[in-house]
Amino acid sequence: MERMDKLRPEIVRLIAAKERRRHKLAALPFVDKVRVVVQMQQMVAPVLRARGRAVRVWALDNSNPVGQK
Amino acid sequence: MVNFASRMEKTLQVLNALERDGVLSRYAIGGAMGATFYVEPVLTFDLDIFVILPQTARGLLTLEPLYEALRARGYTEEGECVNIEGIPVQFLPAHNDLLLEALAEARQTLYEQTPTRVLRAEHLAAIAVQTGREKDRERVRLLLKQASLDDNYLASVLARHGLEARWKEWTS
Repeated sequence: MERMDKLRPEIVRLIAAKERRRHKLAALPFVDKVRVVVQMQQMVAPVLRARGRAVRVWALDNSNPVGQK
Repeated sequence: MVNFASRMEKTLQVLNALERDGVLSRYAIGGAMGATFYVEPVLTFDLDIFVILPQTARGLLTLEPLYEALRARGYTEEGECVNIEGIPVQFLPAHNDLLLEALAEARQTLYEQTPTRVLRAEHLAAIAVQTGREKDRERVRLLLKQASLDDNYLASVLARHGLEARWKEWTS
């Protein structure tokens, strides 16, 4: 793998932005994190089901995507 | 404003009722959802609930009375889980000293308006080390990076439960 100090500046910036987003997600209130988990379940479930794995997407009454009220 | 409990909140209310009724002695959220309390959201399809069960007359550690109480409330088993208000809950009995300690020292918190408990981040890390699967390594990595671990407390947990060597191996 290419070393960080040899990466182009724009790539370094992108990686740093990604890291900042992960820390921002980590700082969300737990209730919002649960909503994000359900959104991930919704995205991944069709793929897993196609592979034959039975999964249940959690039913949350107020599962609006985070940031959308 | 309409104030309605989410399914997750209802699930936790059912767990609180089970504890109040003595069906289980104590519970706390662990696993991926427990980790999610401290770090970025982690994909999971089960809500792992660690439980201390009341001892049966014969001293057996069995989930059957808990499942029976849930069936009586209309919640059915789905594989290894019980579907409680649309959320598959997997109950994991505390079967060793680390898990008993983790439950005793779990953090009290609120989910919306409902009180609940989550295992401490240091215990989640120690449990991951003890369990030792590949996904547990990833959990340890995330907790180290994103959770505010109390280093002294973590060191004491690892020492008490003989996990220092593997911790060093995983984190060096």
